[in-house]
Amino acid sequence: MSLQFLLDGLISGAMIGLGAIGVTLTYSILRFSNFAHGDLMAWGAYAALVAVGALGAIAGGPMAIGALSFGLPLILSTLFAMVFTAGLALLLDWLLFARLRARGQAIIVVMASFGASMALRNLLEFLFSSSPAYYSRALQVAQPIGSGIRITPDQVALLVMTAALVTGMHLFLTRSQRGREMRAYSQNPALARVTGIDVARVVRATWVIGAALAAAAGVMVGTLVQIRPLMGLDLLLPMFAAAILGGIGSVPGAVLAGLIIGLSEAAAVMFVGAEWRAAVAFVILMSVLLVKPTGLFGVTER
Amino acid sequence: MSALLSVERLEAGYEPGLSIVRGASIHADKGEIVVILGPNGAGKSSLIKAIAGLVPVSGGRVVLAGEDITAVPAHLKIRKGLAFVPQTENVFTLMSVEENLRVAAGVFGDRQVAAHIEEMFALFPDLARQRRLMAGSLSGGQRQMLACARALIVKPGVLMLDEPSAGLSPKFVEQVFARLVEIRASGVTIVLVEQNARAALAIGDRAYVLVEGREAHEGPARSLWDDPLIAELYLGHRKEGAA
Repeated sequence: MSLQFLLDGLISGAMIGLGAIGVTLTYSILRFSNFAHGDLMAWGAYAALVAVGALGAIAGGPMAIGALSFGLPLILSTLFAMVFTAGLALLLDWLLFARLRARGQAIIVVMASFGASMALRNLLEFLFSSSPAYYSRALQVAQPIGSGIRITPDQVALLVMTAALVTGMHLFLTRSQRGREMRAYSQNPALARVTGIDVARVVRATWVIGAALAAAAGVMVGTLVQIRPLMGLDLLLPMFAAAILGGIGSVPGAVLAGLIIGLSEAAAVMFVGAEWRAAVAFVILMSVLLVKPTGLFGVTER
Repeated sequence: MSALLSVERLEAGYEPGLSIVRGASIHADKGEIVVILGPNGAGKSSLIKAIAGLVPVSGGRVVLAGEDITAVPAHLKIRKGLAFVPQTENVFTLMSVEENLRVAAGVFGDRQVAAHIEEMFALFPDLARQRRLMAGSLSGGQRQMLACARALIVKPGVLMLDEPSAGLSPKFVEQVFARLVEIRASGVTIVLVEQNARAALAIGDRAYVLVEGREAHEGPARSLWDDPLIAELYLGHRKEGAA
């Protein structure tokens, strides 16, 4: 039996986990399920596509580093995409969510995020068509690493990027004043206010971080799979399942749960059949809600 | 002497047109312990929350050290020197004791955070021993101490507390109130909303009895306790001292 499914699961789990960080932060801090989060991921992927095209034209090629399919242009484009998507999220909040949040009914904000999701997705189709796009058409040769597992250099690089982003995010939330403020606000908004924490600043930081990580996940999917307007929608259910399985508000939980879901999906493909892949996140989501709604790392407020 | 904190004809409530605080006026001079008492539903908690900026104010004003702070958002009131300790959920339960203090000390970009935390640990030695413990696992009395330390770490001029004795055993009530006397001695003005009239009036300088959203009586703490009518109507004890 080939153990390749373990690596495939790890890669797709890393993408889900990276995206789930934004979902869990939005849910715990802004108190709503943002169904447009997947589309922020897709917008990030397309922003990087535009930037990499422009930079590639200036540099005269992808300037691939070593055995990777990409080089400095995609790295810079990823940073641009993270900034662009953060700006897009702030614009969306200013135009839509902040106004609806002020009315105090969470369900209206959730419904609005459905609308925003459709608008963002259709706008992408309008601008770029629904045909898949790629950052590079260079072929990658997967190298054997033992036990029948093969890995491409791009996969190694993007797993390292995910690990760096998740570690950085964890350190930010636990060691920096702004991170502590975000955690404090997610635990107790009223107490956070009388402690002197600026709510507007916490809200901005939440959007910026969630959207930037979504963009990074979008570039990851775009590099390893393909770029499509529906790419974010496809990952939405697994991302929500990861956020809930990990425990709402827990960044390490979201990442670990992302990996669990990625591995479970890959195992389902291997042992049950590819048509069952999409059902895995759904089954996990329902099971967690029924058995342990607080998830792996969620804590019941005392 | 002009009041450090002055609340003038304050109207406040959660819903527009439904005031819970109906024209309340109170004041606190520098270094005073002012107690706000009253029957359940009198609007004591809403008054103190409205002063802190957590309940919308629809009329009147709040003046701190000569400055009108009525419209100042809640998170900026502490910068003006007005700190508030809520009755329940007054610590960040999923953070350690030290993190609770660190997040409070750091909100204004202060570089002396570590020094301020050590000052609080010197003031509340019990907390120093539990600095790495999650605040959610502290006992009720220790939580109140942490809540006070969290509010005091930015050196406010006025400390407002909403029923700090709620849910505490008599031993802890005694400890918390003794600590409030020490805090006052350091120059902090204290405004105390309490159900436990006996304990509060024992440490208070002046007191108000709030009825239906406004002050019905005001006077030195001792004289309110001794007033038979007030004692029986609002404070839950008879003049003879039978509880």
